[in-house]
Amino acid sequence: MALSFFRGIQSRPFLLYPSGFFPRKHALFYCTMKSTQTQIATHEKQEPQLKVSTQSKRLDKISKDFEAVIGIETHVQLSTITKAFCSCAYNYGSQPNTTVCPICMGLPGALPVLNSKVIKFAVKLGLALNCKLSLNSKFDRKQYFYPDLPKGYQISQFDVPIATGGFIDLDLPVEYGGGHRRFGITRVHMEEDAGKLLHTGNGSYSEVDLNRAGVPLLEIVSEPDMRTGIEAAEYAAELQRLVRFLGVSNGNMQEGSLRCDVNVSVRPIGQLEFGTKVEVKNLNSFSAISRAIDFEISRQVLLHNEGESNQIVQETRLWDEGAQKTVTMRKKEGLADYRYFPEPDLPEVILGNEYIDGIRDSLPELPEMKRRRYEQMGLSMQDVIFLANDINVADFFDATIAKGADVKLAANWIMGDIAAYMKNEKLSVNEIKLTPQELAELIASIKGGTISGKIGKEILFELMAKGGTVKGLITEKDLVQIVDPVEIQKMVDKVIAENPKQLEQYRGGKTKLQGYFAGQVMKLSKGKANPGLLNKILLEKLNAKS
Amino acid sequence: MGCCELLLLHTTIKMGSRALLLLRPTTSTKDLHFKSRFLSEALIVEKRRVRSYSVRSTIHPPDLPRLAETARISLTPDEVEEFAPKIQQVVDWFGQLQAVDLQSIQPAIRADTKGENLRDDVPETFENRDAMIAAVPSYEEPFIKVPKVLNKE
Repeated sequence: MALSFFRGIQSRPFLLYPSGFFPRKHALFYCTMKSTQTQIATHEKQEPQLKVSTQSKRLDKISKDFEAVIGIETHVQLSTITKAFCSCAYNYGSQPNTTVCPICMGLPGALPVLNSKVIKFAVKLGLALNCKLSLNSKFDRKQYFYPDLPKGYQISQFDVPIATGGFIDLDLPVEYGGGHRRFGITRVHMEEDAGKLLHTGNGSYSEVDLNRAGVPLLEIVSEPDMRTGIEAAEYAAELQRLVRFLGVSNGNMQEGSLRCDVNVSVRPIGQLEFGTKVEVKNLNSFSAISRAIDFEISRQVLLHNEGESNQIVQETRLWDEGAQKTVTMRKKEGLADYRYFPEPDLPEVILGNEYIDGIRDSLPELPEMKRRRYEQMGLSMQDVIFLANDINVADFFDATIAKGADVKLAANWIMGDIAAYMKNEKLSVNEIKLTPQELAELIASIKGGTISGKIGKEILFELMAKGGTVKGLITEKDLVQIVDPVEIQKMVDKVIAENPKQLEQYRGGKTKLQGYFAGQVMKLSKGKANPGLLNKILLEKLNAKS
Repeated sequence: MGCCELLLLHTTIKMGSRALLLLRPTTSTKDLHFKSRFLSEALIVEKRRVRSYSVRSTIHPPDLPRLAETARISLTPDEVEEFAPKIQQVVDWFGQLQAVDLQSIQPAIRADTKGENLRDDVPETFENRDAMIAAVPSYEEPFIKVPKVLNKE
């Protein structure tokens, strides 16, 4: 046990000298970028484009003289069926105050009993974040008064969290300059969520819904390793991917299943000590994280440059999405006193090595592993990041190439026409009727010359909307590519005969008209003529008598 | 005052001498860039804990007004005068534990180390919800009504 305490003490030097594992030259190049949203999250609602024109000049200055230090606390709501300490079910959007019981309402005498899934999910995430697991950990009571907390304390983990000292790997999107990053994870601990507090516009009261009270959370605390808004947003996006790949949470930011609080400070480059940190809350999307941090950095640097660095105080600020700025929520008066003590109603949490190994062996392929594998297959980083972003898309891609499809072609189809269709129809990859089997078949049919690429595209849309098989559609619609030179020649002859005027012009030097002829022949063949053969025969015929 | 005492007792029973450390004001910390409030508190507690092996005798007297404030109870000056010695007594009582030599003892994270008590993730509906809701002092379907709050603390 002594060991775990010393671990706590030893981690201190890391906090004091975090410096960087990474070069900091990348600093603030992102200010030239258009949208923070494109690659980060296909699931999140589209955000308005990043407005940086006014900030870009200021940010240029920052990159020269100042450095930002960013750490993030993330709360992930676990996708268990029941709450952490009672058997009440939790479903987002249920009628308020319907899934409650004496335990989650904090009635006297009610005793908590831990959901075994919570430990399982914590171990999964701890392992996925490369953490050291505490074989013995415990729950503690964190006392504070707030109407959404019926017991007057939150059951959490304080000095012996279930996992500590890990890291997370990620690839920055290519459009932000790319690059691989590794950010430290300080700790992961289990705790329960509070209820939901609603502030109605009118009236002198607030409303409480306790359905969410007692829902299990994992809090993930990062090392202060991030330097830019983009890095922070990408860290959050990678965490979202990770919890989704692991199946421990839906990671949905809109529903509050993934919540990020960021700590931002700036310091002159070269200075070892951190500047005064400011906490920013109310970040409901990755682009909000990125923009709130960039705003906060320029606000703090501006104060530094104007000789008013004493105006930077330790406080909690809120991101105002409408005004695109952070505003003071509350100033901190010393450290809050939560009077932690061990939760007397719960036994300690003991992990066996066998249990841990069992979970380790059952971990799925994680986003970072997937990206490295795709990279080794020869895909570009842009393809890699796109395909590994969504586990369902990645599974679809993997299943397609498992059916023998060409890797690059499969990637192109998925990222091109299929992604566009999903976006237009607001469907996920699991909702379209196209199967990986048929996509592989389609790719093979085009590659083998059975159908043209153009026809392939038409079939694809039919497959996505209605389903069916490539073979079935080809026979049904008589779409087999015409590769018989005699048949193509007949069509070429017909088109030339029907367009004497254009033929004259062509032979008079307007050779661009070849395209016109090719189009007419293709039309006549209903798109089925093999384009290579068509052009070859057409050219021969057009140039024949000149 | 019951709440404070209860808390103190819980703490002391479960944690022995550490509870006394928690009684000290925690505001003297330097403003370092910690990642989380409680993490920094954790480190502070650990540090003190270790230190307490050698510096055994300093127990600060409880600050009654502060204790009352953290428990959200108002005390009249008379009550403060009445309770202060009583709380002091409890603190002194547990202070005797400081005399125990812990040099060679590994800290226990829990008093009871026996067995886990876990539950399967299977939902069950609590049948007497109506009675619970009926007991809520201020309820307006479907919400519990509370005085307007916008900021924590």
